[in-house]
Amino acid sequence: MNSKESKQIVISVCTGTGGVAAGGYKVIDAFEAYLKESGLSAEYAPRTHKVGCRGFCAKDVLVDVAVNGQTATYQFVTPKRVEKIVAEHIVGGEPVKKWLVKQDYHDFHSKQQKLVLANCGQIDPESIDEYIASGGYQAVRKALKMDPEEIIAVIKESGLKGRGGGGFPTGVKWESCRQAKGDIKYVLCNADEGDPGAFMDRSIVEGNPHLVIEGMIIGAHAIGSIEGYVYIRAEYPLAVDRLRIALDQAREHHFLGDKIFGTDFNFNIKVVLGAGAFVCGESTALMTSIEDKAGEPRPKYVHTTDRGLWQKPSNLNNVETWANIPMIIKKGAKWYAGIGSETSKGTKIFSLVGKINNTGLVEVPMGIPLRDIIYSIGGGIPNKKAFKAVQTGGPSGGCIPASYLDMPVDYESLYEAGSMMGSGGMIVLDEDTCMVDVSKYFLDFCKDEGCGQCTPCREGVAQMVRLLVEITEGKGTMDHIGMLEELSNMIKETSLCGLGKSAPNPVLSTLKYFRDEYEAHIIEKRCPAGICKALTTFTVDEEKCNGCTVCARNCPAGAIFGAKKEVHFIDQDKCVKCRICYEKCKFNAVQKG
Amino acid sequence: MAAMITLTINGKTVKASKGTTVLEAATDAGIYIPTLCHHPALEPEGTCRLCIVEVSGSLRKGIRVSCIQEVKKGLVVETETEEINNHRRLILELLLGRSPDAPLLIDLAAKYGVTSSRFLTGENNDCILCGRCVRVCRDEIGAYALCFVNRGPERKVTTDFERLSEYCIGCGSCAQVCPTGAIQVEDRGDQRKISTWGQVLARFKLEKCDHCGMPFAPKRYLELINKKAYQPKGLELVDYICPECFKKRDRASERRQAADLRKSVVKWSVPR
Repeated sequence: MNSKESKQIVISVCTGTGGVAAGGYKVIDAFEAYLKESGLSAEYAPRTHKVGCRGFCAKDVLVDVAVNGQTATYQFVTPKRVEKIVAEHIVGGEPVKKWLVKQDYHDFHSKQQKLVLANCGQIDPESIDEYIASGGYQAVRKALKMDPEEIIAVIKESGLKGRGGGGFPTGVKWESCRQAKGDIKYVLCNADEGDPGAFMDRSIVEGNPHLVIEGMIIGAHAIGSIEGYVYIRAEYPLAVDRLRIALDQAREHHFLGDKIFGTDFNFNIKVVLGAGAFVCGESTALMTSIEDKAGEPRPKYVHTTDRGLWQKPSNLNNVETWANIPMIIKKGAKWYAGIGSETSKGTKIFSLVGKINNTGLVEVPMGIPLRDIIYSIGGGIPNKKAFKAVQTGGPSGGCIPASYLDMPVDYESLYEAGSMMGSGGMIVLDEDTCMVDVSKYFLDFCKDEGCGQCTPCREGVAQMVRLLVEITEGKGTMDHIGMLEELSNMIKETSLCGLGKSAPNPVLSTLKYFRDEYEAHIIEKRCPAGICKALTTFTVDEEKCNGCTVCARNCPAGAIFGAKKEVHFIDQDKCVKCRICYEKCKFNAVQKG
Repeated sequence: MAAMITLTINGKTVKASKGTTVLEAATDAGIYIPTLCHHPALEPEGTCRLCIVEVSGSLRKGIRVSCIQEVKKGLVVETETEEINNHRRLILELLLGRSPDAPLLIDLAAKYGVTSSRFLTGENNDCILCGRCVRVCRDEIGAYALCFVNRGPERKVTTDFERLSEYCIGCGSCAQVCPTGAIQVEDRGDQRKISTWGQVLARFKLEKCDHCGMPFAPKRYLELINKKAYQPKGLELVDYICPECFKKRDRASERRQAADLRKSVVKWSVPR
C-alpha cells in the first residue's frame, strides 16, 4: 500500500465562543479552500472539524492538525497562516514550528484533570454521531436498566455536590424529589450563568451539549419525571443553537420523546430562554420565570423538590452537575469518590480570568492548592506584578488574599476563607487593584440585578453602594465602615433569596482581609492601588524622568508638558487620572500617590 | 376540624390549626409582630421582612419571616430578641430613608426607637413597595391594572406602560389596602381620579344613581359587578343604585332581590 494513499487528515478548529470571536469559522473556510486548491481534498478526503472550547481561550484560534494520527496543535491561527500550514505541514509533512503551541500550553494542561470537559474541544458539538462514537449515551442505556433507587444510591455514594453554587449533595436532592408526592415531576437544568467573568456552563453547552442531555435523562429516570426544562440565557446564542440542534438529534434518535431507548420510559426536554436577569439564576426565580411570570424569587420554606415549578416537585441542577452524571453512572461511584478531596469529590471547572497570563477554562480535581491554579495552570500574573487576591464565587463570593494561596480549593475551605465555590468564576486581582473599588463593583452589580422585592436587599444594598462610593471619593468616615458592617449583617440574615443573602460577601471578605485599604481611603484619603480617581494624583519624579516624551504623547487630556530630554510635569487641573502615563513610562518616573 | 398544632411563642404555649402561619397564630394569641406588606385578605409575599422571628425547636435555629412560615409541632418562636429587633430597626431606618414622611411608617419606626434615618435617599416617596396594591388588584379583583416595573432600587408600582390604565375598574381597593396612603382616590363631581406618587393611574366618569341622581361608581366597576355577581345567577344589573339609596330600600316586593343584591353588591362596594 502506498503511504501517500493512507494519509488521514483531520483538522479540528476551536469554535467555542472564544474561537468564533477570534475567527474560528474563517479559519475553517480557509482550510477548506486551501485543501481544495492543493488537490488534497480530492485525494484523501481530509476532514475539517469544528470542536468546542479547548480551554485556553487566550491562544485562540487553536487548531489541531492530525496527519495519520500524529497531532500537532497550532495557536493564534488566522486565515492568513492557513496557507503555510497546509503547504508545509499537511502537504510537506513538516509542522510549522514557530506557530505551534509553546511550553505554556503544556503547563496550562499539566495539572488539569479533564473529566467533564474530556470531549469538549475534541468532538463536534453539532454531531450526535461523534458523541456516540466517543462513548456517549452509554451511561443512560446502563441507567435505564437500573432501578431509580439504585441510581440515586450511586449518585449519593459518589459524593457529588451541586456545582451551581450551593454545593448541596445531588443524590440527596434527587432522593427527596423522588420521594415527594406528586403526579408530575420536573427536572430542570440551570444554564442561566450570569456571574461576571464566568463561562463554564456556556462552554459545556457549546462544546458538548449531549452530555448535559444525557445527564438529564438519567436524572429524570431516577426521579420519575417525564418532562425537563433547560433554562438558558438568551445572551448565549451559540449555546442555545447547539443545544437545540442536540435536542433535535436526540429526538430523531429516539433518545428523547416516547418510549426512549426502546423502554417504556417517556421523557422530553424543552428549552426556555432567560431574558437577561441575573436573579433568574436563583432557583425559585428561575421557576417563576419558566411559568411566564416576572422572574422574581419566592420565599421558600417548602423545598422546591416538594413544590417547585407550577407547584410540582422539581429537581433543579446546574449544567455542570448534569454533565457529571453520565461518567458517574458509567464508571461507578467508587471511582468518582476517589477523585478530589476528603469532603469534595470529583473535579471542578473554573473560568480563570482577570490579571492572569493564561486566561481560560480549567478543570481541576477538588482540593488542588489555589497556588497550582494561579501559578502552574494560570502562569502567574502578567508584567511581573504581585498577586493580591482572587475573587471566587461571582458577586456572591469573596476575595481570598495571598496568604491563602496554599489553601486547597474545595467547598469547605473556600467557605471558611469567607468566599464560596459559587459556579466557578475565578477573577485574579493584582497589586494594581483597589479592593474597595472591587467590592463597590460587585455590590453595584447586585444592586442593579436584585429583583427589588425585599427591603434589605433593595434598600440595603443600594445604601452599601452609596457608602462605598463615598469612601472611594474620599468622603468616607470610620462610621461608614461601621454602617457597612451593620448593613451586611442584617442583609445576610434577613434577605428573601440567596442573591440578597450573599450580596454583602465581597464587602465582608475585603473588610476582613484588606481593612487597611479601607482605612487608607478614609483616614489618609489615599487609594493605595491608585485606582480611585478622587484620591490619586500622578506626578513625575524629576530624578527618574529623562524626557523621553512618551507620557506626553500618550496623554489623552494634553495634561503633560515638557521639552524633549527635559523633565516633564503633569498639570493636575487637566489630568483625568486615566493612568496611561503611569503604565507607559518605562523608567518608573510617573508616581502615583 | 383541622388538626391543632401546639407551638411556643415567646414562652407562651399556643395552639393553632394546621396550615396557619406563625404570624396568624401569634396575632390570635395576642402577640404583636410588626409587618407592613402583610394584609389578612391577601396572600403573603414576605417582602418587607419586618415580621422576622427567631425559630428553633423543630426547625433549625434561624431567622424566618412569620407571614410565610407555617406553624409546626414543637416550634419555638421568639418575636422580640435583641438580634431580631436590631434587624427590624435597620429595616425601618432604610424604609424611612426612602419614605421619611409616610405616617404609619413614622409611628412604627418610633415604636422601635427609630426617629431619624442615616440612609436618606432624597426620594421622599410614601410608597414603600410592599406590593399590597398590586396583589389586591391582581389576585382579589382580577383587574391586573397595577404592576411592578424595573429591578432593584428602580422598582416602582405603576400601570402598563405607565399610561392611564385600561384595565383599572376604579374600585379603589389598592388605596384601601395601602399601609402608607401612597395611593389616593379622589372624587370630584362625576370624576374619579386614582393617583400615586407623581402619576395618575386612572381617570373615570362616575355613573349616576338611578334613584338619587348622585354620581357614585365607574362604569367598568359596575360592569364587573354585573359579570361576577349578576350574570352567574342569570341576572342583569340594570338598576344602578348607590350604597346610600340601597340602604333605604326595604319594600317587601323587592326583599328577595335585595337579599340577592346584598350578598353580591356589599362585597364589591367602595368603602367610604
